[in-house]
Amino acid sequence: MEHVIRIDRVSKIYRTGEVTVEALKEVSLTIAKGEFSAIAGPSGSGKSTLLNIVSGLDKPDGGTVELGGKAMTAMSASDLSDFRRDHIGFIFQSYNLIPVLTVEENIEYVMLLQGVPKAERRERVAKILTEVGLDGMQTRLPIHLSGGQQQRVAVARAIVSRPDIILADEPTANLDSKTADALLDMMQELNRTHGVTFLFSTHDQMIMDHARRLITLRDGRIFSDEVRG
Amino acid sequence: MMLFVKLAWRNLFRNKRRTILAGLMIGLGLAAMITTDAVMKGTIDNMIATATSSFLGEGQIHRDGFRKTFEVEQTIVNGPALFDKLKKEPLIRRASPRTASFGMITSPANVQSVMLYGIDPADEKELSKIDDLLVSGAYLATADEAKILLGEKTADLLEVGLGDKIVVTVAQAHTGELSQELFRVGGIFRFGSRQMDGGMAFIPLKRSQEMLKLDGGLHEIAFSFHDNLKSEDTALPLWSELSAGGNEALSWTELVSELAMMRSMTDFSLYLVGIILFGIVAVGIVNTLFMSLYERMFEFGVMRAVGTRPRQAAQLMVMEAGALALIAIAMGIVIAFIVNGLLMHYGIDYSGSEFVVTLRDPIYPVLTVTQFTLYPLLLFIFTCLVGLYPAIYAARLTPAKAMKRGL
Repeated sequence: MEHVIRIDRVSKIYRTGEVTVEALKEVSLTIAKGEFSAIAGPSGSGKSTLLNIVSGLDKPDGGTVELGGKAMTAMSASDLSDFRRDHIGFIFQSYNLIPVLTVEENIEYVMLLQGVPKAERRERVAKILTEVGLDGMQTRLPIHLSGGQQQRVAVARAIVSRPDIILADEPTANLDSKTADALLDMMQELNRTHGVTFLFSTHDQMIMDHARRLITLRDGRIFSDEVRG
Repeated sequence: MMLFVKLAWRNLFRNKRRTILAGLMIGLGLAAMITTDAVMKGTIDNMIATATSSFLGEGQIHRDGFRKTFEVEQTIVNGPALFDKLKKEPLIRRASPRTASFGMITSPANVQSVMLYGIDPADEKELSKIDDLLVSGAYLATADEAKILLGEKTADLLEVGLGDKIVVTVAQAHTGELSQELFRVGGIFRFGSRQMDGGMAFIPLKRSQEMLKLDGGLHEIAFSFHDNLKSEDTALPLWSELSAGGNEALSWTELVSELAMMRSMTDFSLYLVGIILFGIVAVGIVNTLFMSLYERMFEFGVMRAVGTRPRQAAQLMVMEAGALALIAIAMGIVIAFIVNGLLMHYGIDYSGSEFVVTLRDPIYPVLTVTQFTLYPLLLFIFTCLVGLYPAIYAARLTPAKAMKRGL
């Protein structure tokens, strides 16, 4: 099976004054293409740290990270930006939309950075808006959308640039259960239809229930790794 | 590129009040710079106009060395012919022939030494403003009448009034013999300058030439140009042509070098004012941009996370600085127009004050195209340069830290 992510003995230490916290302790993990996986665990278990390292937002103190067969740990800040732009989609807890851009412009943002031609951008945006159920809202600013709608825009933006993997950090944390459920259904549908790999960081039971693989972290180590059906 | 231009412009209006206040502060700096320059130019122009139009002229011809000794026999070489030539010169607007000598004026009450000028009433009236500056009496009517124009202070000292008789004594050319003649006070003038009102007197040219035994000779030809900027062009061939044969033709910039020096000092003062104003503006811009950056720290983190390069993040900050500069420039130009419009209407009244010369008219600001093009352009470039500081900061942010700080 083709691996999207390969993490080998990754460790991360945070130092605040004289206090040292070992957030990740030689964690090794592989995520295969098309997985719908979740990393769960209590607060401080290292979920977000692991997600930040996988995405190249933060650098590990030890070990190696490969995404799509490329070693991320040796890349410069600029190369990492390009790599994230072309290979990773992000969904954050607080929607992470650019408030001054409309729905359409927010979705287009990464494609603009990629240099996708205008006609193709418009076509992809129209298609994804239908898929995430936001038809007719392309000219609205994020402030005029509900939390669920904003998160749908974030999902659309993450997926429209055709990344290898979508990393979602607590994407349902600010949503009511009905909206969260609908959003997860939509992401599952995208996973099935487009074959996009999803990796969640969560302590939301609903995501854990939807995930086909559940990796549990505890004290910076993988406590369990459970694959369901 | 257009994406970041759009983002920068829209970001600027996320906090309208802050943008307006910051723009106003920068705009006020620009308006202050324009107004300072305009008023300084107006002041200097006023002083130059006062100096050159009152009596000096924009240029003068003398016999080389005359200005050091004022020896009576040092007349201009071929003075009358040179004067005729000058009157036909296309660049020259007006010219006036003069004699200039030390003289003694005696009244029944007192004695006063003066610089006695012989003037051609008609030519002098065209060039200088002696007739306008008379506070009593009348200007000289003919070139040979026995009338004298005295300064107000000289008249006070001599205790004479209009129509009173006085005796003028001068030393004649070559022999040095004293020549005396009786004049009646025809008019009393006030230039506003102690030196001129207490030390100058004017008699008709022919009278002075006869008294000094000059045989039609001249000590001075004052002249003005059609285009007054030519008077400052010392590379103009006319200066060397007029200086040929032992004469010396000088521009007002050399005759009243204090004024030219004052102008260059004014330029230097303007640079200092500019540096101080731009310094204040720089602090304002950096503060505004950093506030904006800190407010959007999470957003910057997200932008970097989804693939915005460090250079692009920096570019966005510089563009925001540039957009702020454009708003500030628009505000500054409007403020500058209003302030200078008011000053041009009412003027700044320092008339009667004596600096290098005595100002006669209110000071009006002088607006130039440079003030509304170069200064805004410099401000725009400067703002973008200052914007580099927060831009570099934004570029160096690591996405994870930025998102943590933003939360």
